[in-house]
Parts: sequence; structure tokens; C-alpha cells
Amino acid sequence: MKGEIVHKVVEYVSGEIVSDRDELSVTIVEEGPDEVVAEVRTAKGDMGRVIGRRGRVAKAIRTVAQAAADEEGLEAGVEFVD
Amino acid sequence: MSEEWLEIRARSREDAVAAAVAELGLDSAKQVNVEVVEEPQKGLLGFGGKDGLFRVSKARSSSRRRRRGGGSSSGSSKGGSSGGKGGGKQSRDGSSESQGRRDGNRNGNRSGNRNGDRQQRGSRQDGRSRSGGSGKTKAESSRQAPKPKEPRKEEEADMPDLSEQATVVNDFLVGLLEAFGLEGDVETSVKDDDIIIANVTGEQAEALIGPKGQILQAILELTRTVVQRKTQAGARIRLDIGGYTERRREALRIYAGRLAEQVVEDGEEVMLEPMNPADRKVVHDVVAEIDGVRSYSEGEEPRRSVVISPSPTD
Repeated sequence: MKGEIVHKVVEYVSGEIVSDRDELSVTIVEEGPDEVVAEVRTAKGDMGRVIGRRGRVAKAIRTVAQAAADEEGLEAGVEFVD
Repeated sequence: MSEEWLEIRARSREDAVAAAVAELGLDSAKQVNVEVVEEPQKGLLGFGGKDGLFRVSKARSSSRRRRRGGGSSSGSSKGGSSGGKGGGKQSRDGSSESQGRRDGNRNGNRSGNRNGDRQQRGSRQDGRSRSGGSGKTKAESSRQAPKPKEPRKEEEADMPDLSEQATVVNDFLVGLLEAFGLEGDVETSVKDDDIIIANVTGEQAEALIGPKGQILQAILELTRTVVQRKTQAGARIRLDIGGYTERRREALRIYAGRLAEQVVEDGEEVMLEPMNPADRKVVHDVVAEIDGVRSYSEGEEPRRSVVISPSPTD
């Protein structure tokens, strides 16, 4: 599956940060032949945690998501869906 | 993907070359090409000046340093690794054998394995060698008699068990490698009772360094966040992947040393580019060892810079 590593990595990292893992979902959406977006949904109280102060955590998640995408020759974005 | 280059801000071409040589793990300045992107400017009124920007690339003759993946994956990872975990793993396993060979290439005629090399470097920096050893997790909990140290924002309150935090760090990094499907070893230890040192090694794990260490920085940020979340505490954490941080630090030491000597010669103050606190400390430590100069920091995070200035000699 395209974006499998991205999915695993984003899900893993987010899962380590949220309090409510059951409410966490990461969905891979194909945006193009070489581009995927990982949509991250969390419990209400957890969104702030995965985004972090000034978006620092979100930025770090985006960076590792792209690193994961590199493993598959893809571009990856991460969207935090409220 | 044609060739690897670094952009270095430096006072002079020589400094840029020296930094690049150390950064790229080369033996001499002959192995690099330098392109001047911005000419350095002399400061006015003894203040500042502007560093030039140099693009330094490895000369063609020697083998390229790769940033990513295992031996077989640099070209084939597109698509290849998504096919099946099993297959990917296998080639990755195989590639770890080639580490010695590759390191040999990369370091020119330097022989010996890199662990040895790094060990040496580690000990050069004030005796704290990364004596990592064999244990996967060395989260020692010898917390008695903590050394005095300047308090840091996040940790001055109380210091819950550092070994517990180290375990969280270790587990997080192991899990992260697994999520990436990369082979690598994680070693975690506690230093001076207040710093957690995490070392990730393995050729494949070097895919997690990234250009200018960006991925490594992101992983460090996430590691801190996870530790904070799980233990409500935040010790200082240092992360190195594939020796990158240490190589970079060594390059910075060389660079800072040259700048400081230049300040002694010219009597002119120099401001470095903004750096994070850890890098600034490296510069301060180097300057402290050199007579006739002193250093201080100026500006606000995250654009705080070290200034090296001549110290009064009376």
C-alpha cells in the first residue's frame, strides 16, 4: 500500500503522544502518483498535544513523515483534522 | 542527487573548508570544491561583519557520502521497500555488513571501524567517551550525589527517575526504527545524573539524519515530547544518529577555534550565525580555552548568536 511507512510512522509517533489512543486515527490519502497526505484525527483534548506549542510537534511530525515517505519515494504531508 | 554539498557560513573560505572537511569526514581540503555564494564582509566599527556563504561539495574522485538507506536501497527504495517488509528487511540486513567497507570509503584512507573512531572523538571532548558498550539499554540509575549544575527551565523542579526517562527514550527510538522498518541499534545512558544520551547506530538508521540533521532534530523534538508526556519530566536529552551530531560538533569546534584565533589577531569582534543552545555551548567551550578572547551570547531565541570578542589583556 502506498504510504504504508508514512502511515506507520505517523501513527506510531502520534500514538506515543496522545492520551487517548483509541480515538487516534491516521488515514493515508493519495494526493497524486507520488504524493500522500496523512490525516491525523485525535480525541479533542489530544489535538493540542500533537500540534504542540507553536506547532513544534506538528512540524516535527511532518518532518519524520517526509522521512518515511522518502523510504518509499513519495512526498508526504500531514494534516491535523479537527 | 548528483552530489552532496553543504552550505557553510564562515568568515573565510579557509574556515568553510575546514568545517566542511570535518563535517564530511574527509582527510584534507584537497577533497572538496568550494563555491562562494556570498562574499564575507568585514565588520564596521569592530562589530559583526558578515560571514560569507560557501557551498562546499565533495570532490568527485572520492565516493559520495550517502544520506539515506541501506546499501541496496539508495536507488531502489522508491517502490522497492513498499513491496514487502520481508524483502526490504533482508536486503537491509545484508547491507549492514557493508558498513565497514563503506565507512572505509567515506573516510578516505582512514582505517578501522567507525565505532573506534567515534570513541576517540568522544573522549577528546573532556573524557566522557561514549563507552556505550554492548548493553542495549544502559539506563543506570545511580542518582546519588548529583553534580551541581546551572538550573534549566524544564528540569529544575524535581527530577523523577532519570533511568525511567531513559527507558522511555530508548523504547520510543526502538519503536520509531521499527515503524520506519529500519535496522539499527539504540543505546541509551544517563550521564552526569542529568543528561540522557541516546545513540542510534547502524547504516540504515542514518536515513534518519536528514539534510543538515533536520530529521534528527525532529526526532529529538518528538523524543522530548514523548518523555514529557509519559513521565511529566524533561531531562536534557542528547541524540546522535550514526555519529552525525559528534561529527558536526567537531566541525563546529574547528570552526570556532579558527574564528577565535582570528579575533585574537584582528582584535575585531565576530558574531556567529544563530545557533541552538547546545551548539553555542560548544563555541563557548572552545573560546574559553583560547587566551585573548571571550565569548557571550546575544539576541533572543531562536536567533541567539555567540559573539567572540577580544578580551581585555590587562
